[in-house]
Amino acid sequence: MEDMTKKTVEDSTPILELDDLYVHYRSEGNIIKAVNGVSLKLGRRETIGLVGETGAGKTTTALAVMQLLPDATARIDRGDILYNGESLLRKSKGEMRAIRGALISMIFQDPMTALNPIKTVGAQIMESLTIHNYEHKSKAELEARVDELLELVGIKAIRRNEYPHQFSGGMKQRVLIAVALACQPQVLIADEPTTALDVTIQAQVLALIEELKEKLGTSVIMITHDLGIVAQTCDKVAVMYAGEIIEDGSVEDIFLGEHHHPYTVGLFNSIPKLDDESNRLHPIDGLMPDPANLPPGCPFSPRCHQCMEICTREHPAITYQKGSHRIKCHLFAGGEG
Amino acid sequence: MMGDALIKTVDLKKFFRVKGGILHAVDGINLEIPKGKTLGVVGESGCGKSTLGRTIIRLLDATSGSVFFDGQDVMQAKGKEMEEMRRQMQIIFQDPFSCLNPRMPVYKLIAEPLEIHRVYRHSADLSKRVIQLMDTVGLARRFLNSYPHEMDGGRRQRVGIARALALNPQFIVCDEPVSALDVSVQAQILNLLMDLQSAMGLTYMFITHDLLVVRHIADEIAVMYLGQCIERAPAKQLFREPLHPYTKALLSAIPIPDLGQRRKPVMLHGEVSDPIDPKPGCRFARRCSQCTEKCTQQDYPLREVSPGHFVACQRYQ
Repeated sequence: MEDMTKKTVEDSTPILELDDLYVHYRSEGNIIKAVNGVSLKLGRRETIGLVGETGAGKTTTALAVMQLLPDATARIDRGDILYNGESLLRKSKGEMRAIRGALISMIFQDPMTALNPIKTVGAQIMESLTIHNYEHKSKAELEARVDELLELVGIKAIRRNEYPHQFSGGMKQRVLIAVALACQPQVLIADEPTTALDVTIQAQVLALIEELKEKLGTSVIMITHDLGIVAQTCDKVAVMYAGEIIEDGSVEDIFLGEHHHPYTVGLFNSIPKLDDESNRLHPIDGLMPDPANLPPGCPFSPRCHQCMEICTREHPAITYQKGSHRIKCHLFAGGEG
Repeated sequence: MMGDALIKTVDLKKFFRVKGGILHAVDGINLEIPKGKTLGVVGESGCGKSTLGRTIIRLLDATSGSVFFDGQDVMQAKGKEMEEMRRQMQIIFQDPFSCLNPRMPVYKLIAEPLEIHRVYRHSADLSKRVIQLMDTVGLARRFLNSYPHEMDGGRRQRVGIARALALNPQFIVCDEPVSALDVSVQAQILNLLMDLQSAMGLTYMFITHDLLVVRHIADEIAVMYLGQCIERAPAKQLFREPLHPYTKALLSAIPIPDLGQRRKPVMLHGEVSDPIDPKPGCRFARRCSQCTEKCTQQDYPLREVSPGHFVACQRYQ
């Protein structure tokens, strides 16, 4: 019993926390409001699905955590990013370099461009290990670790001296996963890790991430637009729209909850269902607003079927809260929450 | 079904000479698409589905075999006859950015096929038709002078569809037309394609790797693996009762957006290889969990196991 209480206390500090994060890009006199007040808590051994369409600000959020935003144009205007309770924004470049890749790492979306074409895959995994070689392991030990990592992601170790172009898309994605996992990170950010892959390979990659999560106790932020992947892999879900989380909760809240944000409803209605016999989909009209020119009030209001007068005027706060389930929408302002 | 097939292929083959041998991209495809219906063609990258689509409308010349459009032999058609057939058979591409000329505004892009085929003598008629096509595909008239880079993916795809519709075709190959689009926009385009089909009686060959989309839009589905069709069945039937081990693995790998159906997919080991100088026998045998000695000894053709349901697998011979 005692052990269990101790464990809960330790587990209750989130490994990663985003607190009211704002990221804006400045270009040619425009201010592009990519991320607008995102708050998120990632628990240990947890997988959060960050869901939304192109331009919702998912990748910018991920790059902000990694501190890989382009210096020239992007700025974190407000908010904080806490890793294990410590602010990442106050870390020096050197400190951040020690964290990035070792404690927090990222699988990038496109395996075709994320690997260096003129270095062998073994060398690229090795790079990550030598940069973060805090235990001063010998060269031979590191070499052995490279082989181990390749086998872990299902690539025969004898292929370590091959170049990226000698691998197929699915295999390249595995190499990227091996690089990301080389130092056994506490947090793994997977940015659409399977979008470029075929379904059978996608299933292999998702199963691999799941297996590693169990073996290494990694927490995962799964960035995706595929609600199927969310249902199959995530514990919690945050739905993003125009740089904001407009609804979040446990995966049960999002898939089975009583109330939803109209955008979440639209997303679900846009995908063909397996047991659906009807021939018409019910898409959301219109398009995601331009982040350089967000509408006043609720950013979804121009596309919303249930838009009210207040929606075009006032930005909604969290109006519905039931357990972990939260929604930002004026529809629930009547005290339904 | 024979009588009303708009498209029919007989042992259609398309090979490419590559380093290391002959790549059998399309290797003996027999299919029929009835008028007004949609055949979905699914398979993973490199299975030859796009090559099949392009060979049927003769963007590529077949290595052997034939294609019949409304009873006419497409491969033998010449001059005027071929020109007329090209009007009837169109294609919508996956990436509406790379298939549209970046230096042409929307008006010019949609007018281009009409100009090539000299449909109108007066420019007033031509512009009337362009406007009409923009209305048909749901493109606001204010985009008339916009260039492709000024539009989002969904609108670009609408331009691609307007171009394909310009000459009033009967048959359209849709090659992954929604794969590059966000889900909400994807649904808009799928609805548009289905509306156009019922309004104009169009016949589609719908090529995709997205199995939920194909189930939604297709009447019949053909599953391809390394250049061959390994199973063909009415869409709902295929999802209800897949027979080929590859089809089973493919269907079980779809992540279903439903918590009630969290499940373990059938894991396939290895990857799709290239069909370069393939040996006889089932091409899936190397990855198949139910592979026996028999599988690699000879080819197994598609066999009808129940009405309209065909499968090429040794276990159903």
